Amino acid sequence: MMIFVIGGSASGKSEYAEDYLMALSNEKKKYYIATMQVYDEEGQKKVERHKMIRKDKDFITIEQPINIQNAIDKIDNFDCTALLECISNLTANEMFSDINHKSAEIVADKIVDGIKRLDNKVSQLVIVSNNVFEDGIVYDNATTEYIKAMGKINEKLAECADEVIEVVAGISIIIK
Amino acid sequence: MKLIIGGYAQGKFKYAQKKFQVENKNVYDGKLPDGTGNINGTLIINNLNTYIRQSMIDGTFSEKLIFDFIDKYPDCVIITDEVGNGIVPIDEFERGFRETIGRIQIELAKMAEEVERVICGIGQKIK
Repeated sequence: MMIFVIGGSASGKSEYAEDYLMALSNEKKKYYIATMQVYDEEGQKKVERHKMIRKDKDFITIEQPINIQNAIDKIDNFDCTALLECISNLTANEMFSDINHKSAEIVADKIVDGIKRLDNKVSQLVIVSNNVFEDGIVYDNATTEYIKAMGKINEKLAECADEVIEVVAGISIIIK
Repeated sequence: MKLIIGGYAQGKFKYAQKKFQVENKNVYDGKLPDGTGNINGTLIINNLNTYIRQSMIDGTFSEKLIFDFIDKYPDCVIITDEVGNGIVPIDEFERGFRETIGRIQIELAKMAEEVERVICGIGQKIK
């Protein structure tokens, strides 16, 4: 079962997704698949904030900033749940980790394929993604390609998902 | 308190005016009342985002001021732009602004008796 949660920056989407997974998990083992690479103090603070929010939620953290399909081998075979946080970091890491940036198409296909396989492994998968589409700014080619990749990934995952939920100011809106 | 959110130029203020019939003198645009004078009737704070941005620039920003204001005027209507739906800005101030306003909007939505999201001038009640 796949649950897709989308929202803007500081919309409360992560907390919502964590609580959602908690409610689904009961006594099951819960994995938190973290994708953020920390480069500086600000990134570190963000990670710390997220750790604080989930500190009593009993997650097992898997750091998987790239090659999401590799997370599968780190998860028990037994009935368990996972939260993937988040698509925007994963996409940036896949796209820009190499000096030759990959195309939106290649990145999107790789990520969607990896996530589908991950979804087959766990009983419930909650995915957090970002709305990066509405600031009306015309960006450089690399960023535009990134936005396109995000769009494709969100579209494909939302299609696969059993539920799609948008979070706005901490309020959840069921889209699918 | 009632909260109205939505993108830029979506007709949020017009929507609120029509719905709540607030007198012009009770409309505060990009600012909070300074605390002097008597206010009767419902208040609208339009563009809370502008207020937050300006007070962050001035270095006078305080969440407490906003929450104290709501305590004092629990019947007010607050209108604010949604700004988080884009690429994370390179500029540090802009990033901080988005984080700050996003977190405040979550708190405001929790306090609000009603939250509406306006798009194309049409309000959707989300709480």
